[in-house]
Amino acid sequence: MTGFLDISFLTVQVLSALRLAAFLFLISSGLTLIFGVLNILNFAHGALYMLGAYFMFWVTSQVTGPGGFFLAMAMAPLGVALIGMILEMGLLRRIYIQEEIYQLLLTYALVLIIDDLAKIVFGAEYKSIPKPAFLEGAITLFGGTVPTYTILVVVIAPTVAALLWYLLYRTKTGKVIRATSSDREMADALGINMKALFTLVFAFGAVLAGFGGALAGPARTVFPGVGTEVIIECFVVVVIGGLGNLWGALVGSLLIGALETVGIIVFPEFEMGLIYLLMVAVLVVRPWGLFGKPLKIKALSEKNLSFESQEISPVHFSSRPWLWVIPVVLLLIFPAFAGRFYQYLLTQIFVAALMAVAFNLLLGTTGLLSFGQAAFFGVGAYTVGLLLTKTGTGTMPALGLSLFTSAVAASVIGFFCVRLTGVHFAMLTLAFGQLIFAIAFKWYGFTGGDNGIQGIPVREIPLAGLGLLDIGSTKSMYYFVLVVAGLAVAFLRRVRSSPFGATLKAIRENGQRASYLGINVTLYQWTAFVIAGTFTGLAGGLFALMERSISPEIIHWTKSADPVLMTIIGGIYTFVGPAVGAVVLIVLNSYIVAWTEYWALVLGMVLLLLVLLLPGGVIGFVNEKARDYLTRSGWIRRWLFSKSATS
Amino acid sequence: MALLELASVNTFYGRSHILFDVSLSVGKGEVVSLLGRNGAGKSTTFRSIIGLTPPQTGEVIFKGERISGMRAFRICRKGVGFVPEDRRCFPDLTVRENLEVAVRREKQTSSPWTVEKVYSLFPRLQEREKNLGSQLSGGEQQMLTIARTLMTNPDLLLLDEPSEGLAPMIVALLADMIIRIRAEGVTVLLAEQNLHFCAKVADRGYVIDKGSVKYEGKISDLLGNEEIKEKYLAV
Ligand SMILES: Nc1ncnc2c1ncn2[C@@H]1O[C@H](COP(=O)(O)OP(=O)(O)OP(=O)(O)O)[C@@H](O)[C@H]1O
Ligand SMILES: [Mg+2]
Repeated sequence: MTGFLDISFLTVQVLSALRLAAFLFLISSGLTLIFGVLNILNFAHGALYMLGAYFMFWVTSQVTGPGGFFLAMAMAPLGVALIGMILEMGLLRRIYIQEEIYQLLLTYALVLIIDDLAKIVFGAEYKSIPKPAFLEGAITLFGGTVPTYTILVVVIAPTVAALLWYLLYRTKTGKVIRATSSDREMADALGINMKALFTLVFAFGAVLAGFGGALAGPARTVFPGVGTEVIIECFVVVVIGGLGNLWGALVGSLLIGALETVGIIVFPEFEMGLIYLLMVAVLVVRPWGLFGKPLKIKALSEKNLSFESQEISPVHFSSRPWLWVIPVVLLLIFPAFAGRFYQYLLTQIFVAALMAVAFNLLLGTTGLLSFGQAAFFGVGAYTVGLLLTKTGTGTMPALGLSLFTSAVAASVIGFFCVRLTGVHFAMLTLAFGQLIFAIAFKWYGFTGGDNGIQGIPVREIPLAGLGLLDIGSTKSMYYFVLVVAGLAVAFLRRVRSSPFGATLKAIRENGQRASYLGINVTLYQWTAFVIAGTFTGLAGGLFALMERSISPEIIHWTKSADPVLMTIIGGIYTFVGPAVGAVVLIVLNSYIVAWTEYWALVLGMVLLLLVLLLPGGVIGFVNEKARDYLTRSGWIRRWLFSKSATS
Repeated sequence: MALLELASVNTFYGRSHILFDVSLSVGKGEVVSLLGRNGAGKSTTFRSIIGLTPPQTGEVIFKGERISGMRAFRICRKGVGFVPEDRRCFPDLTVRENLEVAVRREKQTSSPWTVEKVYSLFPRLQEREKNLGSQLSGGEQQMLTIARTLMTNPDLLLLDEPSEGLAPMIVALLADMIIRIRAEGVTVLLAEQNLHFCAKVADRGYVIDKGSVKYEGKISDLLGNEEIKEKYLAV
């Protein structure tokens, strides 16, 4: 431990922490500025950073020498700004009046598309970017050896921060930006052109991201997907600091820079988890971040409320229960016609559909966007996996216990998360999810670390007095998962149509009014969170049984995006929507992956079109069209109206 | 021709129908008040005019031009100034900055409002020039939001319940200021629950209840009309 008192060691570490903080600040300052004004948490900000680095790579490869380096430094931010402007004016602008989730999803789709395009243009390999000779070497500072480039970075970042301060506090545009980020509606009424300002701010955020990429490129490397790593760190930074707050971004960057540097030295096994632990700790104490304030609703105009026509199915299953018999019979006889591949595919779909339907109890019914559902999926899967491999537990008790463990996890995590709403809620669930991911990933002794668990034995299930049920084969697993997931989905449907579900919907529509009516909003949200988490855990348990091997990958935050995508694809305000989305996503995936390596590109395009053209999802669209068609004749209209009035 | 004209305006919040065929008119140079109880629809009328909650049917005509359907910032640039009820000054901006960001229509106005000119109307604001919006008292915030809207050089000022929650002394001051603003050539539409406050500054008044206009006439007549006062105003 004497190493810590050594001044040369200390110098090197402090400078490396500052360098990390510098990169984080350049990216997250733009992210937080965009959030402050546009109210959009821009997933694509990491992709803009990546594009900055690629610009740097490309220009320096065209024009060599120091001239090329500085030319690239100047061109990268401008190029990225131009791309940012095109994205804002061409895409984002169309969906400002939609709900938050569509904006998040659109920027997420952009990440998928830009990453794959980068792969196509520049290749999948890591690119290193040359530095001019005078920035190559290292200098000695207090006996420690520090790369010259680090010094450059550590000097430039505060300069940029000072410039930002000047722009925001000393120029008219800066004052307008600050005014708008505290009260958008008022700014509008005072004659400020929101449209123009939004484009300007987005482009300016892109300049910062592009510059960050250009500066970081030569120090790190660049590869497709680097943005996805960077953006999550920056989310942590801005959420800790307080969304939309520039000082928050600065302090958050310094904190994370320091924490990661210390973490690598002191606690290398859990370095990755530390930043999420910090974020959870900060949000538990200060739900809106260190410098943040509770968000008030700053609607640009009234939110789009045109979904009601999509929510109500033109065919009333509840009044015609026999209609359910058709799909059930089809699913029961399916294995008689289809081979093992299709049986396996459908089993996958059942698991995914259960996860998505459970998730939608939160999103569609209650209005809470969780970005950490993979955590409960993982808890369920690991419970089954560990119990079956390490103990002699039977299949059914293990599955039952997976319900229990995920319920416990969801109760605890939910307790903290439901105090927040909107983007803050999404970010806190994401942080908890990543924390659980980090545990599964690093705790070799218990979870097997990144190796996961292989060869999970699936034991026969004793049926009282009827012998043993073997679910080892693909076909019997198909039926087993169908029955378990089917019962769970049926239960979730009952929950949704119960008075409890109606209260959740009332909370979604207007949480304030619900609380005036004496409803304990938080308690209801928490209960919904626990139910959703529990059934997501069950889906995870089924997954462990059908796959017989699991790895921490299933807990990573990108997996939490799956139920979100499924729900949006299928239709957020319908019960079967998420299940339909699961079918679409899994079928698409299994075919497109066979056909092209650019699955992300295709998925991104699908999402983009969906968000722009069918915001109610596939089922919402079908419902709306079917209604239009059916309501043309008067008696059906009367019949529908009498039904919808009661639902 | 009237400066502002509302013709059968119907406005909704989502599904709830709030304004029912609201029609009213304000002549140039007038001070007109819009009276009504809590939840009567006064603020919604203002939001319909300024375009923050655009009407679904009906028309808003300003200086002979149809402004309903335009975005709020355009309507503001046409010369409609909106002072919201809940004193929304920008909390993170200083008093001076609050005024600076609102400068509009200087070229179209013969003697535009300047920071100095609004300071002479509200001397208190000058004393607190360097303070943040969030550090002001309620009365100061009310003055700041009015002053800020004046910086947009409006021909018509929509004042939403300026007297609400203020001490009687400040309310008296406020009435004085409205009279001075009018003297500068600004037409005022004033939403209020307080009839006596209106009587000090306004000539005519409309009474609104449950989203529709119930009465229209001189304030002096209204003061004597016990039935209307009893039925639609909290006295
Ligand atoms: N954002 C909103 N969503 C739904 N209903 C609303 C909304 N804002 C106001 N309302 C409803 O519209 C009606 C009219 O409200 P409004 O604010 O226009 O009344 P007001 O006359 O200004 O009242 P006050 O004196 O309390 O300000 C009320 O019944 C209110 O509940
Ligand atoms: Mg009001």
